Amino acid sequence: MATATSTTGIRRILRPLLIPSLALLSALLAGAVVMVLSGDDPMAAYSGLFQGAFGDGKGWARTIRKTIPFVLTGLSVALAFKVSLFNIGASGQFVMGSVFAVAVGINFEGLPVFIHLPLALIAGIVGGMLWGAIPGILKVYTGAHEVIVTIMLNYVASLFGGWTVYAGGTQGQTPGPLWDRTAGAISETPDVLHSAQIPWLFGPPYRVHAGVFLALAAAILVWWLIYKTPLGFEMRTVGHNMRAARYAGIRVNYTIILTMALAGGLAGLAGGIETLGLNHKFAPEFGGAVGFDGITVALLGQTHPIGVLLAAFMFGALDGGAATMQFQSGVPADIIQIIQALVLAFVAAPLIIRMIFRLRQQTADDAGSAVSTSWGGT
Amino acid sequence: MKASRMMKLLFLLTSLTLLLAACPAAVPAADSGSGADDEMTADFKVGLVTDVGRVNDRSFNQSAWEGVVESAEALGLAEDDIKYIETQDAKDYTDNIQQFIDADYNVIVSVGFALGDATTTAAKENPDVFFIGVDQFQGENIPNLAGLIFNEDHSGYLAGVLAGSLSQTGTIAAVLGTDLVPPVVAFNEGYVAGAQSVNADINVISTYHPGEISQAFVDPEWGAATAKQALDQGADVIFGAGGITGNGALQEIATADGAGETVFCIGVDTDQWNTVPAAQPCLVSSAMKLITPGVVELVTMASDGEFPGGNYFGKADLAPFHDFDDMIPQELKDLLAETKAGLIDGSIDTGYGN
Repeated sequence: MATATSTTGIRRILRPLLIPSLALLSALLAGAVVMVLSGDDPMAAYSGLFQGAFGDGKGWARTIRKTIPFVLTGLSVALAFKVSLFNIGASGQFVMGSVFAVAVGINFEGLPVFIHLPLALIAGIVGGMLWGAIPGILKVYTGAHEVIVTIMLNYVASLFGGWTVYAGGTQGQTPGPLWDRTAGAISETPDVLHSAQIPWLFGPPYRVHAGVFLALAAAILVWWLIYKTPLGFEMRTVGHNMRAARYAGIRVNYTIILTMALAGGLAGLAGGIETLGLNHKFAPEFGGAVGFDGITVALLGQTHPIGVLLAAFMFGALDGGAATMQFQSGVPADIIQIIQALVLAFVAAPLIIRMIFRLRQQTADDAGSAVSTSWGGT
Repeated sequence: MKASRMMKLLFLLTSLTLLLAACPAAVPAADSGSGADDEMTADFKVGLVTDVGRVNDRSFNQSAWEGVVESAEALGLAEDDIKYIETQDAKDYTDNIQQFIDADYNVIVSVGFALGDATTTAAKENPDVFFIGVDQFQGENIPNLAGLIFNEDHSGYLAGVLAGSLSQTGTIAAVLGTDLVPPVVAFNEGYVAGAQSVNADINVISTYHPGEISQAFVDPEWGAATAKQALDQGADVIFGAGGITGNGALQEIATADGAGETVFCIGVDTDQWNTVPAAQPCLVSSAMKLITPGVVELVTMASDGEFPGGNYFGKADLAPFHDFDDMIPQELKDLLAETKAGLIDGSIDTGYGN
């Protein structure tokens, strides 16, 4: 019996890794099939990918740099999942975080770093929180589904971001408030002041900034919040069964709004970190695609903070190695996006994975069920 | 039972992971192979970084890459000495340029306005590498960086002369990407001036896309609707200048009543007869930026050691008339040739930028 309990212990740890690993593996294999069909060499491609992601210092730097925003947008989506909310809005929250952070970052000349930088980061979080809270409030008070609202708010955020840096044009339109007056026809903000830039851990050409610690801290904080605090217990309870939670005296409406705001804050922090640490300015092309990938990262990470870290790292490596893969093997870097999309398909449809690998049905408390209850749990 | 099946799966998983992890073992071998090549030929290598998008975009990326391929043939470079990286994300410009620098490339072509900053920085940090910035205006003169730019007003002017001469109704139109981008404005102002030079009373309906840069060039529905509107207002020659937005206009006109008989369209940037076959029913010509020959000239100069830093003006011209060649009277062809010569020697002023 003693051995039985110890294997159960190992299974408890390994079990959650199984579906995501198989999904990733299947996606890579399917990607290889796509390459073979289009006449490319998958071995050359994957070795180039690996080389690009981990082959040297610059590779590791790229991977880590790409991982940071995935961690935070992944956490954003994962946190909302715990309350059975489907946050498709990380993209818009990311943009709002970028805009708020840059607005603080390009102003207030003369502030010391230890005040200006935190202030700009907080502005990013606040921007994302506001954008996340709106769908929460609308869900609670009008019943509007957060999926629809967050999708629509992504467009609003993207257009708002574009407006703030609008260059004005030649026909005398009013330029946006954050536009860099020296940029001519280019729609972008001025550079963030040095006092609001996140310091490099390794400067150019490596370009890894201290935001990596913020991402790690956020993962730990989210884990602590969900599993170690009364609020986290309430959130999970609402996620499992909203009616029971209400019956038990949990403030369901408050929890929903707060969760959406916190999820938005995480994505907003991602935008703030990317803006203050890497781009040092905001322009419409620094949009929130990483917010959509956050959905895949959260699902691949089984909506657990540690899982999200691992999944974000995988995605960071895929993106970090893509250019080198194309450089070395000639395989178009688009294949990486195909692989990432396949990962989403495989994790979002664990049934396919179970069928392929003949796994038995998981029990209901597995993370996969969070996805389905999101649609039914009103 | 369950546990043992679990272990089997884990074993499978681990072995597959190891298999994947074994991949990089092949890398050093491949790498040292190409390293040996370097030593044998001590060659000249040309790399290209695209703007976000594919290298076969039938537009700037493709024209620039064709320039690289052509110059490689002219200089006798091996197929392995020219490579491109397709940018996936605007944040990656610097990284992608760096890949070529790290691999000791001699010339790096970066395609598009948006890569300007990254290219300038890289050029300053690597004075031994030649950089060609397609469509990148140079504010300062960096000896190892040439911005390949165009007098868009010149090709717009030629398109205007053609449109003004072809029009029966006295009304022509232009469907344009955003006025936030100066080249688009230059195309339009040249177009209007050119049309007025052949018909002083001509009515030109110019419409700019109202959105911001990220939407203005990728909105074919708006392009089609605007073209339709212009047709309804009696325009019979329409100039579509604005990426995919303009292509939407061309395709709309191609399906209009009288397309190719009484209603015509003019494309932009490249010969759109080839790039947008759906527009062929109405497409008389395109106002081209000759990117391919411009890139060939610059790469050749780099290999000869006579690289011109600063702005380098490529040629502007109209694309061939293709199936419409018989329909264009010889006088008009002569007028266009004269106009082109006049634009080059400066005797014709488009009025843009004055």
